[in-house]
Amino acid sequence: MHIPDGVLPTSVCLGGYAAAGAVTWFSLRKISQKENPREGIPKASLLTAAFLVASWIHIPVPPASVHLVLNGLLGVVLGYYAFPAILIGLFFQAVMFQHGGLTTLGVNATVMGVPALLAYYLFRLRNTFGRGSRLSTGLFGFLAGAGGIGLAAVAVFVLLVTTIPAHMDVEAERASICALTLAHIPLMIIEGVFTAALALFLQRVKPELLEGES
Amino acid sequence: MRLQLDEYAYLNTPLHRWDPRYKLAGFMILIFAFSFVHSLHLLPAMMVVSGALYTVSCLPLSFLLARLRLPGFFLLMMAVLLPFFSGQTALFYIGPVAVKQEGCLDLLLISVKFLCILTLGIILFGTTSFLTSVKAMRALGLPSILADMVLFSYRYLYDIGDKLKTMETAMKLRGFRGRDLKSVGTLASLAGTILVRSYEQSDRVYRAMILRGYGQAGGAGVGPRRDEFQACPRDLAGLLVFIAVAVLFVVAEIYLP
Repeated sequence: MHIPDGVLPTSVCLGGYAAAGAVTWFSLRKISQKENPREGIPKASLLTAAFLVASWIHIPVPPASVHLVLNGLLGVVLGYYAFPAILIGLFFQAVMFQHGGLTTLGVNATVMGVPALLAYYLFRLRNTFGRGSRLSTGLFGFLAGAGGIGLAAVAVFVLLVTTIPAHMDVEAERASICALTLAHIPLMIIEGVFTAALALFLQRVKPELLEGES
Repeated sequence: MRLQLDEYAYLNTPLHRWDPRYKLAGFMILIFAFSFVHSLHLLPAMMVVSGALYTVSCLPLSFLLARLRLPGFFLLMMAVLLPFFSGQTALFYIGPVAVKQEGCLDLLLISVKFLCILTLGIILFGTTSFLTSVKAMRALGLPSILADMVLFSYRYLYDIGDKLKTMETAMKLRGFRGRDLKSVGTLASLAGTILVRSYEQSDRVYRAMILRGYGQAGGAGVGPRRDEFQACPRDLAGLLVFIAVAVLFVVAEIYLP
């Protein structure tokens, strides 16, 4: 799902950096409004590393297995720290594991991080239905997990298909976006179920991690 | 999970000695100039520049090749898709399917740009220790919250990775196979346990850091000291050479047919 170097035009890469810069500024501003902004840094950093590691867990989808993205879950647990966490996670993936790229870091962070922030807002809606209810945690966990990956997938495919330097006609582009998005519906469901299961686990074991304000 | 990026940062080459701030700026400018290229005529020049820089860096070839394995899957996917779906001019046929000329050229352009930019990125972070790279970013204006988060995450990435490995082994020893979708709940609990343990560890880390003066004026932090980086004219000359090469690529891209 991460767009690598060499695929997108420079203008889109620079636009991605501008967008990522704006969202990072917004997130840092929200973080700095806290009583002690530095208090959350070790927590958010350790959880960033934990998320990066958790995304390596193989989920069996017979006959193969997939790695999850978990951007929706990041939003659920980290709140406004989710965007910086995703930016840093993608930076590590680009420089250490060569997933994604340095020129596309801004674009990747935007398409993964903005859905994570939206997932955070979505998950907060569970409070209106009763914070302690397992049903609302499961339901909004599913919506946040599935929505996070779904929005990211649509954004990545629209970007790839419309800006890749390939000679495709408009009809073929439209068909590819639809096909690629539809192909990701099973992944959305798995990511949603995984996020819901994990949110329920955290509610039972460590509910303060679900406050989204760590 | 040992993929140390800076294991050759101790070497002594002009690229290793270059002031990290200038190196970061120079390489990023060149990387963006490469991403601007769309003319096939410039691809050999890009390969020469990347190859020459890699040679000067004295990083072993195996170091580069080991890092190409994962992104190789992306290139393979492109190689399967582009020649068949992009373009009109059929080069040849594989059974009833036409291999298109435009698609092959698109694939060549994307692959070469990808490999050259990747090589530059590996040189950039392979010739400086990670801590120094982050300090250089901080000196160039990276917000302190982000710099701190990068360093803490880097410090704990391997630690948590090893924890996950131990827990997966323990699950297997207890008979967990994880071959069907029913195991999603168990795997979610595994991820949840990783998160809870990291959360509790972060609490202990934060308390220890507070005791050592973290967040106080003049306390521990990752910001560069005033005398940490001292550039000499040679560092500036290096940056100017990189900018000149980048400008050459951009100008050539604009004026080449």
